[in-house]
Parts: sequence; C-alpha cells; structure tokens
Amino acid sequence: MITRKPHIIGKPFPLVEAQSKLTGVSCYAGDEPFGPDLLHARILFSKRAHARVRLRGVEQARRLEGVAAVLTGREVNARLGAHIEDRTLLAVDEVTYAGQPLAVVAAESPEIAMAALATIQVDYDDLPAVFDVEAALAADAPLVHPDMTAYPGFDQVQAQPERNIAHRVLLQRGDVDAALADAAFVLERTYTAAPLQHAPMETHGGVAQQRERELMLWLHVQAPFLQRQVIARALHIPPQDLRIITQCVGGSFGSKVFVSVEALLAAIARETHGRPVRLHLTREEEFQAIFMTPAMRARVTMGLDDQGRIIAMRAVYDWNVGASVDAFILEMQRIALAGTGPYAIPNTDIQVNAIYTHLLPAAPMRSLSIAQMHWAIEQHVDELAEMAGMSPLLLRQRNLVKGGDQLFSNFIMHANGLESCVLETVRAIGWQPERDQDPSGPVVRGKGLAMGWSPIIVSPHCKSRVTIQCDGDELCSVIVDGVDVGQGYYAFITQLIAFELNLPIEWITVHPTDTGNHEPDWQAIYHNLLWSTGRALLQAVAEMKRQILSYVSEMWEEPMSNLDIVEGEVISYATRRRLSILTLLQEGAGEGEPPVFRATGVYEASEQDDRLENILQSYAATGYAAEVAVNLETGHLTVLQLAGAADVGHAINPEGVKAQLKGGIIQSISLTLLEEMQFENGVPISIDFMSYPIATTADMPQKLHPIVVEIPQSTGPYGARDLSNHVMVGASAAIGNAIYQATGVRIRDLPITAQRLYDALRADS
Amino acid sequence: MKHDISFSINGERVRLTVHSHQTLLEVIRSELELTGAKYGCSTGECGACSVLLDGEVVNSCMVLAPEVDGAEILTVEGLSGDEELHPLQKSFIDHHGVQCGYCAPGMLISAKALLSRTSRPHEEEIREALVGNLCRCGAYADIIKSIQVASRARR
Repeated sequence: MITRKPHIIGKPFPLVEAQSKLTGVSCYAGDEPFGPDLLHARILFSKRAHARVRLRGVEQARRLEGVAAVLTGREVNARLGAHIEDRTLLAVDEVTYAGQPLAVVAAESPEIAMAALATIQVDYDDLPAVFDVEAALAADAPLVHPDMTAYPGFDQVQAQPERNIAHRVLLQRGDVDAALADAAFVLERTYTAAPLQHAPMETHGGVAQQRERELMLWLHVQAPFLQRQVIARALHIPPQDLRIITQCVGGSFGSKVFVSVEALLAAIARETHGRPVRLHLTREEEFQAIFMTPAMRARVTMGLDDQGRIIAMRAVYDWNVGASVDAFILEMQRIALAGTGPYAIPNTDIQVNAIYTHLLPAAPMRSLSIAQMHWAIEQHVDELAEMAGMSPLLLRQRNLVKGGDQLFSNFIMHANGLESCVLETVRAIGWQPERDQDPSGPVVRGKGLAMGWSPIIVSPHCKSRVTIQCDGDELCSVIVDGVDVGQGYYAFITQLIAFELNLPIEWITVHPTDTGNHEPDWQAIYHNLLWSTGRALLQAVAEMKRQILSYVSEMWEEPMSNLDIVEGEVISYATRRRLSILTLLQEGAGEGEPPVFRATGVYEASEQDDRLENILQSYAATGYAAEVAVNLETGHLTVLQLAGAADVGHAINPEGVKAQLKGGIIQSISLTLLEEMQFENGVPISIDFMSYPIATTADMPQKLHPIVVEIPQSTGPYGARDLSNHVMVGASAAIGNAIYQATGVRIRDLPITAQRLYDALRADS
Repeated sequence: MKHDISFSINGERVRLTVHSHQTLLEVIRSELELTGAKYGCSTGECGACSVLLDGEVVNSCMVLAPEVDGAEILTVEGLSGDEELHPLQKSFIDHHGVQCGYCAPGMLISAKALLSRTSRPHEEEIREALVGNLCRCGAYADIIKSIQVASRARR
C-alpha cells in the first residue's frame, strides 16, 4: 500500500540550527578561528556631536610596534548609504554626531590597537548643535546637512535641507478640514516615544581578509547583498570582488541590516597585505556608535460623527532620525501606509517627517515605529471613545477596515483577522469597558486593549533566489539569499522542501548565505522573506521534482504522469515499482555516474513603479490586551497579564509562531516600561545594561497569552503571512489604556517609567 | 605579572600561564579556543559568558584568570556527553528555548546549576535563577518551559 505521512506544514518544528547553537558552536562575532595571523581592529569614534575636528599623532600611531595599518578620512574620503549617502565612512574635518568614526586601526592585539588609538589626539572645535525635533525645526537652527543636495541619492528623498527636513511622505484623501468641521466630536492630542537601542546580545563584528582580487567578509548581518552593494560603492571596488559569507546572527532586530562598522572592517583589511582582521565591538561601543531607533512625536486629530464613525483623521508623525535618514526611508513608507491605524476613514491627511539632528543615525527596529505610532493612535481611539461615551471595543469594531474595502486606487483590503485578534485577546484576559473592582488599598487594577496593523511591502525591486541541489554527497543542499536571525527562516525552508518533495527532513541542509554562491551581479532585495523566498522555493521544488521524475521515467520507460515521490522513494502508481532516491543519488541506477539534480527558483517582482500603494502587498493584523496593577502611592506598575494575537494567515510552524509572539510580548514590555536611550549634549550616556535596562525574567507578566489567528492570505505560501516583524504592534497602547482604566491618568509619552507614572499620579491628585 | 595556573575544564586538566589582568572569559575563548561562553557586556550584566566555577554560576568576564587556579570549570561544551545531548539541550530544541541563540549557552549553564540544587524547580524559582541572563529575543517563556520539561523528564 502507498500511504503518505500526515504533512509537516502546520506541525511543530524546531529550529534546524538549534542544536549547534546549544552546544557552543563557533559561528558568532568573535568566534572565528583564524590562527596567529589574525589582526585586531579598533575604531576611534567622535566624542562630540557637532564640531570641527583635527587628528594629531596619526603618524606616531602608524609607527607603533605591532600596528599594521591606520586609516582616517584623509586616506579614505567616502560617503556611505543605501538610498542617500548621508553618512561618511570616516569623518573629514567635521563630525555631525557623537559616535561618528574618525579612524580605524589594525594591530597584532586588541591592546596594541587600543594603544594606537590612544596615540591619536582629537582636537574638537565645537559647533552649534540640535538634538530634538523642535530645536531642529526652529527658524535659526544650525543645519545638519547643508550640502545635502550634493549627496549621491538626493533624488531619493523629499528633503528641505535648509529646514533640517531629511525626508517626507504624504498620504491624503478626501477633505479633512470639511469633515472635522462636521464632526460631532473632535480630539487633538500629542504623543511621544523615546529613542531606543536595538541592543542585540551579540555586538557588531566580523572578520575581513583580502585574498588576491577578492575581499572576503565573514559577517553577522541580515542583508548581505545590500551590504555588499553599499560597501563596494564606498570603497570603489566592483561588487563581484567583494564576497560576504554570513555567519550566525546573535540578534539583529534591524541593527544589522544597514551597513555600519562593517565598511570600516572592509576598508582596513585592504591595508594589511592579506592578513585577516577581526573587529568585535565592546558593549559600550555598541551603545555609543551603532544605530539608535528614532524618537517619535505624533500629533493626532480625529473627528467622530454622532453614529460613532471616525470621519476624519489628521496625523503628523515626526521622527528624530539623528544625522542620517538613509536606513529609515523605506520604513517611512510603511509608517504612511499604516498611518490611520486599522480603520476605514474617508478623510485622511497623513504626514510622515524625518528630521535631521546631531544624534546617532537612526535605523528601524522590528516594526517598532509601527508599534510606536499605534501607541498614539490606539490611545487616541480610547480617548475619543470616552469623549463620545462609547465602549472602546465598539468604537473599534464600528470603524475597522474590512476585507473588500478599497483602501487605495489599486489596493483592496484582503480578508483579515483584525476583529478576531481583538476579540480573542479581550476574551483571554476578560476585558470589560469598566473597571471591575474598587480599590481597597493603594494598588488598583485595570485592563486595556489595542489593535494594530502593519504593512507588508514588496517593492518592485524585490528579488529572491533559491537553488536546491540533490546529490550523493550532501543529499539535498539548499542555497538561499536570506538570512536566519532566529525567526525560523531555515526551519521554514526545510519544512517546505520536505513537504513538497516528500523527503526526510534529515536530508535537507540549508547553507548560510554566501554572496559568492550567486552570480556576480545578483542583488537580492527583500522586505518579506516568507513571501519572496517562499515564491522562489515553490518554483525550485517543482523543478526539482520534475527533474527527478523525468530521470526515472526515462530509466523505467514509463510516462512521468505515472510517477510520484513518496517518503524518499520514486514510485509508479501504474506498475507499483519503487526506487529509493537515496540509492539513486549515492549509487546511481545501472550504468554511469549517479545523477546530480540542480534546480533554481527565482522570484522577481514584475516591473511597476514604486508608488506607495504599488509596494503594498498585505497587512499583518495584531491585537493586544493587558491587565496592569498600579500602586497609586509609588507609581510602581506590574503587568499582570498580556495577551497578544496575530493573524499569520496559516501557521506553517505553530509553535514557532507562538515563540515569536511570546518574544514580541516580552520585548514590548521592555520597550514600553524600561527603555530609553539618553544623551548628554548629544553624547549617549546609555552605555550598558545598567544605564539602559532591558527586560529580564523578573519583568515577565504572570500570564502570557499568545494567540494565533489564521485567516489565509491567498497570495502567500500555503496561505501564510509574515509575522516576526510585526509582533509588537499594539502592545504599548494596550498597557497605556489599562493604566488609564486603573488610575484615570493618561500617559502619552514612552517609556512609562515608574518615575513618569509617579509624577503623573501626583499631578492628577 | 604572569601566573602559572592549572585547573580542570569540562573534565580536562589544563596548565597555562596567564596575565594578572586576563579574565577567565578571555582565557576560555582565546587560549582554550572554546566559543560557547560569549562576550556580551564585560561588566557582568548579561550572563552570556556564564560558566560553572566549582559548581556555582559565575560571569566569566568578572573572574580574573589567576583566581581559578585549582578550580573545576564547566562550559556549555562540557554539558553533553560525546554522543548524547544533555536533557536540557534536547528540551531547549523541542520547546523553542532558542531563537538567535547567543544567550543560550549562558541560559543552559544557569539552568544546570539550578537543577543541581533543586531537582523539580517551580516556575518562580526558574525565573529567579535566570534573572542574570539577558535574552533580547524575549524567549524567556519558552526557556522556562524547556527547563521545566527537562526537570520533569529527569526522573
């Protein structure tokens, strides 16, 4: 009898690389074994935010015993950026943020490299600086990038250099002013969120080595093809002469997508005559010199009619992107597309601004900016509901975007789980519109809810490629162009191939991405790995199956339509013949060498322009509900329970989905209650986990409710939709709304530290 | 100043000459080329470099190498036998106790120390035992579950 095992799509599946990570395998930054030839790089970073700089003692540093090379902006005067080159590789004459690289050294030991840096003296001549959005937009503000028009990529942004406006995205429809004039209730409020750090546990680093023409980079990054392009352009070398081999990534959250210190590592390795160079930042350097996430100021106005319908919304989202907008440009498109929250509002005016200041360059973090704008929108909706005397749940249900709604001229909303998400979380924690008990002591309890949507974009430039090779040596090896950062990407690929080809999972090996495995000009760009890799994979497995069956069909002289692959065997439904694929690959069949099958699948978005609505592929829906306890006397806050729901279309790996959700819940608590990047005169004073605490097991809520909602996405693989990037959207506002229900105090600024809550409670009483 | 020291690591005796200022983490990683203990902060705040020193969890970045003369040290590499994974490692795989994986060796070491003190810890005790091990992926819930399941399976 021929039977099929129940398929593994939708079944629990562990991370395929878990075992090596749990046994101490060497694959993270600082682990690389390169022997005694290895040199060590250190970087000199600016300690001032805005100043003219002069370096003295560079020659002495070069002459120190054990120093192999020193580079400053005098030798390598290069700009850096993926879209607009608004950063420098190394500062020349002027610094525009504290943390900007001034020099890089390679030496026989980290100590000698440090000594060399100490030999270099930096003369700073301070210049006026701006650190917040208000100051940067003031009439006589010093300009961060007065020469911006000359930067390569200036045509990629809508900028006003003379006002420190780095980029702007607008999305409007209807007539907001007229609708607001007609509204029964109008509410205008401002909400803010502090700048944060991605703070991956693995700090940035890697190894570089010049091998004849080829410059090799072993990096722990999320987007090797993007990095290759940017580094090659900065160093004026052809991209094909630069090869990036990705290693394990010990957390990225967006900080290892865009190029930071990797380009300096590449630059110094060209000066060491073929000796490999390692760079591994200290925690303090990670805090002081790698990207921050931008602070937000959201000014939101909504108008409600007497039927409880939101008829107008105006929102201005200002982001303090520090001295660089480059990494934030795409995110601003997503912010605009999410700008109204998950509501169908006929008249909207959404403005997204990036403002330059003299702070660290900004980079997005795991849809954090979408989560932060929902901090504003979802508290605003609660405030509006109270104003109108409505239940916040009812107000949301009445205004939710529904499948079939025409959102943009060429985008109709798909079937989605928005309402299921909010209802499931409400049920999980027993949310009610009113507080359910009176306080008998200083501790009060309250519950709050919030929803969210997060745009999944696939730009016209999106490309992804997968190659599967089946042979006697490696059985099934897979070459991809995405990178697993712990979200289960390799597990997804393994599951999909095992299912589609009906092969044992032990046969399948996904190789870490190596730009050298693809044609020299291949430039993978992806904003949604599940979608783009999924598409390419399905093509590749179909081709692989065809090749294997066609080979056996010729051998057996049977039509291919009789044949199938079942549990690692080619079988004939007509003749009941069977052939083990393992035997076929390892021993061959009959005469000659065993066959080698190689199949490639490519996903390339069809040609179209990249207007906002064209890059929009779908929306991920989330819902959150929180219960908190607040001590009215001390401001001490405890999150008692937090329910998070996400519509993933189809959970290909349900336990993996829940793991991502639970992680998102913890990270949300951390960002909402604890984290704030602090500066003094533009210099980061958050430099370690004492001055910048992140959530520990002590900050976990007593109860976590991860909820998986599955409304299939017709265009995704098996109906699945991307998740790990969207899990945090809505959590902060649910906590804010719960605090309000508990205390009657509305906190509009993130993070909700005990001090802030205490001050607000005092002001209120 | 240099010190000749000898200690046992993962059951093997080693003799080394170390500098006064070298930390145990540096010695483990650079001299002994074991990469399981990770660099995370060098200030004892994150627990990525956790090892067992005579059975107690320490942040190896906070221990000076000369101090370990005569001691017994266990890193994550010594947790599993030659063939078999440790039950904790198996459980971390089965219950998604690992995401990016950078904190995982430290978590396993803290869990191992806990289970040698308390064979069937309550959730509260596990939370307390892991409070010095940071996980930025926020995988705490699954890490706790992995440890609980492993402890139940032990007898």
